[in-house]
Amino acid sequence: MTTVITLENISKIFLTQEIETRALNEISLVIKKGEYISLSGQSGCGKSTLLSILGLLDSPSSGSYDLHGENVSLLTRDQRAKIRSEQIGIVFQSFNLISDLNVFENVMLPLTYQSGLSKKMIENKVNEVLKKVDMSHRKNHYPAQLSGGQQQRVAVARALVNDPAIILADEPTGNLDSKNAEIVLQLFDQLHQDGATICMVTHDPASAKRASRCLELFDGQLVKDHENKPAKSISPGSYSTQSTAS
Amino acid sequence: MPILIDIKYALRLLFKAPKFTAMILLVLLGGLSISLFTFSFLYSVMYKPLPIPEGETALSVRVNFNGDFNLISSYEYLNVKDNLTSFAEFGVYSQKDSRFSIGESGKSIPSSFVDEGFFKFSRTNALLGRTIQPQDLIKGASPVAVISYDTWQNELSGNESVLNMTMRLNDVITDVVGVMPQGYHFPVRTKIWLPNLSIELENNAKYPEFYYGYARLKENASLTKAEAELGNAINQIYQESVQLFDKTKGIKTANLLSFPMAQMGGQGTIIFTFLNVISWIILILACINVGNLLLARAIERQKETAIRAALGASTKRLVSQLMWEGIIITVFGGILSVLLVGAALDYTNIAVDSWLVNGKPFWWRWGMDVETITIAVLFTLVTIFLSSFLPAWRAARQDINNTLRDGTRGAQSKKAGRISRFLVTTQVFLVAILMLIGSMTGYMTHNFINIDLGDDYTNVMRAFVELPEDKYVDPQQHISFFKSLTEQINSHPQVEDVYSLNWIGESKLTLENMDYASENDHPMVDTMSVIGNTSTVGVNLLAGRQFTDQDKIGHGKKTIISQSMANRYWPGESPLDKRFQLEVNGKNEQLTVVGVVTNKMNPKSLFNKLDSADEIYLSGFQFITPYQRIYYKLRNIRNAEEIFYQALFAVDRSIELDYSVEAAEKDRDMMRGSMQLVSNITFGTGFFALMLALVGIYGLTANSIAQRTHEIGIRRAVGATDRNIVNIFIKQGARQLTVGLGLALIIFALLSYVFDKFSEGMFPSYLYFMLAFGVVIGLSSTVMFAIFAPTRKAVKMEPGSALRYE
Repeated sequence: MTTVITLENISKIFLTQEIETRALNEISLVIKKGEYISLSGQSGCGKSTLLSILGLLDSPSSGSYDLHGENVSLLTRDQRAKIRSEQIGIVFQSFNLISDLNVFENVMLPLTYQSGLSKKMIENKVNEVLKKVDMSHRKNHYPAQLSGGQQQRVAVARALVNDPAIILADEPTGNLDSKNAEIVLQLFDQLHQDGATICMVTHDPASAKRASRCLELFDGQLVKDHENKPAKSISPGSYSTQSTAS
Repeated sequence: MPILIDIKYALRLLFKAPKFTAMILLVLLGGLSISLFTFSFLYSVMYKPLPIPEGETALSVRVNFNGDFNLISSYEYLNVKDNLTSFAEFGVYSQKDSRFSIGESGKSIPSSFVDEGFFKFSRTNALLGRTIQPQDLIKGASPVAVISYDTWQNELSGNESVLNMTMRLNDVITDVVGVMPQGYHFPVRTKIWLPNLSIELENNAKYPEFYYGYARLKENASLTKAEAELGNAINQIYQESVQLFDKTKGIKTANLLSFPMAQMGGQGTIIFTFLNVISWIILILACINVGNLLLARAIERQKETAIRAALGASTKRLVSQLMWEGIIITVFGGILSVLLVGAALDYTNIAVDSWLVNGKPFWWRWGMDVETITIAVLFTLVTIFLSSFLPAWRAARQDINNTLRDGTRGAQSKKAGRISRFLVTTQVFLVAILMLIGSMTGYMTHNFINIDLGDDYTNVMRAFVELPEDKYVDPQQHISFFKSLTEQINSHPQVEDVYSLNWIGESKLTLENMDYASENDHPMVDTMSVIGNTSTVGVNLLAGRQFTDQDKIGHGKKTIISQSMANRYWPGESPLDKRFQLEVNGKNEQLTVVGVVTNKMNPKSLFNKLDSADEIYLSGFQFITPYQRIYYKLRNIRNAEEIFYQALFAVDRSIELDYSVEAAEKDRDMMRGSMQLVSNITFGTGFFALMLALVGIYGLTANSIAQRTHEIGIRRAVGATDRNIVNIFIKQGARQLTVGLGLALIIFALLSYVFDKFSEGMFPSYLYFMLAFGVVIGLSSTVMFAIFAPTRKAVKMEPGSALRYE
C-alpha cells in the first residue's frame, strides 16, 4: 500500500508562563493509503495535538512530517493552507460549522479556497457529498436548524468534498447520543470500505475497535500500535434511514 | 451592597485592561470636550444674559431699511420716543473712537456718546464719582467724561485723584467725572462715555445724526407688538421725510434683539445651531466607538452573564452590572472634560484679549458656569445612555441556553455582526460628511488667506472721514476740506504719500462707436474717485499720468483706468486720450483717459469671488462726496495715528471719526486671522473625527474579528490562506465604506449644488469633484488600514489555537 503520511520523531512542546508542557514526545508513525486508524488514550495524552499536527493545524516543535513524500513541516502558512484545502478533510467533535452559512455553503467552503474549479463543478461535488451523507434535503438549512447528528454529517460531507488523501476526525461522536453516534460511525465504515484513509481520535473502545489499526497514546508517546480485525461490513446507505429520523 | 460589588468588579475590569481603558477615556474626553467647549464658547457669545443687573431684559434696537441693517436717525428718535406705549425705557447712543492725545502721541479709545438715561438703563452706578447727568448734556456745559476701570488703570495709572484729572479727548480738554466698575463696558466695548450733546439740537429732518438704540419693555408687553409699534412709528416719520426731502424710497422696520444677538447681526441662532450640530456629530461618533468597544467587552463576558442569569439575576440587575464599567469611565471622562474645557476657556479669554486689542464685547467672558456644568452633566448622561446603557441592555437580552451551550459564538454573532456593520457604515458616513464640509471650508479659507488683490498696504494707514452735511454743504467745500487735509498730512516729514478714495460703485460704460442692443448690454465697471497718487496703496502708474489739482470742476473730465480694462477695450493700442461715457450718479459723463494703472481686484462677495479687475478712477476734484477714505504711506510707523489726528484737528477740530485710524492692512489681517482660526478649527475637528474613525473602526473590526476567531479557525482548517481571510474582512469593510461614502457623497452633491447657487459659482465644478475624490481616497485608506491592521494580526494565530478560542 502507498504511504500517505510519515512522521519521524515528532515532538510538541507548549510553553505557557514559563511552564513547559511536552504534549508529544518523539512520535514516529507511518500511515498507508486506505487505513482506518483509531487514536485513543487518556484525556491529555496528546491525541488532539497529534491530530492537529497531522491536519497541519499546528506545527511540531521538532521532527519531520512527510505527506505523500513531501516534508510539510517546512512549508509556509499558505502552502499548508493549500494542502489542507486539497488533501485533508477534518471532522471536529463540536462540528465547527459556520453558523451564518447554510449547509450547502458550509460544505462548499474548502472548494472555494481551491483555484480552477468552475461553479458547476463545485455544485456537482457538493451535491454529490451531500447525497452521500443523506443531507441533500437540508442543504438550504442553517446549522442552528439541524440536530447534532445532522450537523456532524454535514461536517463529514465538508471533510469529503475535496476528495482528501486522509480524513482526520477528532472524537466525531463525542457530542452525539448513541443513536447519532452510530450513524456517523457507520458513515466512516462506509468511507473506509470505499477506500478512504481515516484517522479518528476516540476515547471510546467500541469505536476504536471498528478501525483497522489501533494506536494508543500515553503521556505524549505512542505506546500501542496494532492491527484490528477488519471493520464490520455494512451495506451502503444502511445509516440513511435512521439518520433522517434524527 | 450589590451595587458596591458591581462597582468593585467594574473597577477591577478597567484596571485589568489599562490600554483599553485609556483608549476609551481618550475618545470620550475628545468627544465630550469638543462638544462642551463649542457649547460654552458660543453660549457665552450669543445667549448669556448681559452681565449687568436685569441684563436679561436689556434690548438692542435694530432698525432695518428695506431689510438691511440701518440706524435710527435723531429726527426719528425725537419724534417717536414719547409716543411709544410698549416701552418702559428707550434711548439712543452713538459709538465712535475718541482720540486720547498725550503730547506728540496718543491713542484711539472706543467711546460711546450717551444720554442721561443710559447708565440708569444698565442699572450700574459709578465706582468713583458720577455718571453722565442732564446738566452735562446742555450746550456750553463743561466737557466731561466717565471712564472705564481699565482706562483709569492703564491710561491714568490708577491715579487716586482721577476725579480731579483731565484727558485731552478729540483735542478737547475733558474732565474725568466718574469711573465705572471693573468689567463694565456697556453697550459693547466702550471705555469712555461722553455726553451726547447733539441729540436735542439735531432735530433736523434733512441732515439727522444716526444712532444705536437701547430699550426695555414694559412688564407684560409683547415683543412682537413692541417691534411692530416701533417699526411703524419710525417708518411713518421716515415716509414724511421722503416726501419733504426727496430721500430714498423704502420701508423701515424695527427689531428688538438681545445685545449679544444684535452684535451677531441677528444671525446668531444659525451659527450656534450649525457649530453645535457639528460638535454633536463628534460626540455621537465618540459614543458609537465607546459603545461598541463596551459592547464587545459585554459580549466577551456573555457566558458569564448567562451564568448569572441562569442563577436568577433579573435583566435589570444584569444591565446594571454591565453598565458600571461604562458609567465609571464616562463620569471620569466627563469630570476630566470639564476640567480641560475650563482651562481651555480661561486660555480663550487670554488669547482673545491679546488678539482684540481694542477690547472684546464685555459679555465675552468664558469660563465654567452653571450652564456649562449643566450641559456637561447632560452630555455625560446622554453618553452613558448611548455608550453604556444600550450595549448593556443588548448584551443582557440573550438566549441563555444558546450561550451556555455554544459560548459567545452562538446566537449573538449574527446580530452583533449586523450592529457592527451598521456602526461602521454610520461612522464612515458621519466622518465623510465632516471631512467634505471641512475640506470645502479649508479650501475657501486657504484661498482667502493667500489671495493677491494687487495692492500693497505696507506702512499704509487708513482713516474714514465723513463731513457733516449741514456744515459742508457744497462740493467745493468738500474738495477744499479734503485738499487741505491731504496737504496737511503730506506736509509731515514721515509721510511719503497721501491718497483719498471714495467708492462710487459699478457704473454703466458706453464706448464710442459701439452699438448696444439694449441698456443691459452696457458693461458695468467698478468706479471710484480719488485725490492723490494711487501708488500710495501699490496701484502703480503704467502709462500716462496721475490726477493733478488741475483736473477740477469746470475742466474736461479725466479718467485713469486699470490695465485689465485697457487690454479689454483697446487691445494692442494705447488707451491714452481715448474717450468713453460713464453714468455717474444718474448722469452720463464724457471722460478722457489720461493714465493706466496696475490691476487691483476686489472680493466680490463673502465667498471671495474676485471681480474682473476692470477699474475706473475719476478725479476727486471733479467727483467728490463728503465721505472719503484717506490712505497715507509712512516712512516709519512711529506715531502713525497721531500724524492723522494732528492734521485733522488743524483743518477742522469739530470733525468726529466713526472709526479709529488704523493700519490699512488691519481689517484684512483680522479677517485673515479669523479665517485661519476657522480653518484650523475645521481642520482640527476633521482630523479628530478621522482619528476617531480610525480608532473606532479599528476597534469595531478587532471586535468583529474576535467574535469570528473561531470561524477564522474553521476556514483555516478547511484550507483558507491568510489572504482569503483578510479578503473576507476587506470586502465586508469595502461594502460598508461604499454605502457610508455613497450616502455622504449624495448629501455633499446636494449641498454643493445649493452652495454653488448661493455663491454664484464661486468654485469651478471640477473642484467639488476633486474635494470629493480627495476625501474618498483619504477616508478609504484610513478605513482600509483600520480594517487591515487587526485582520492581519488575527490571521497570524495558528488555526488550532483559533479553533480552541472561546
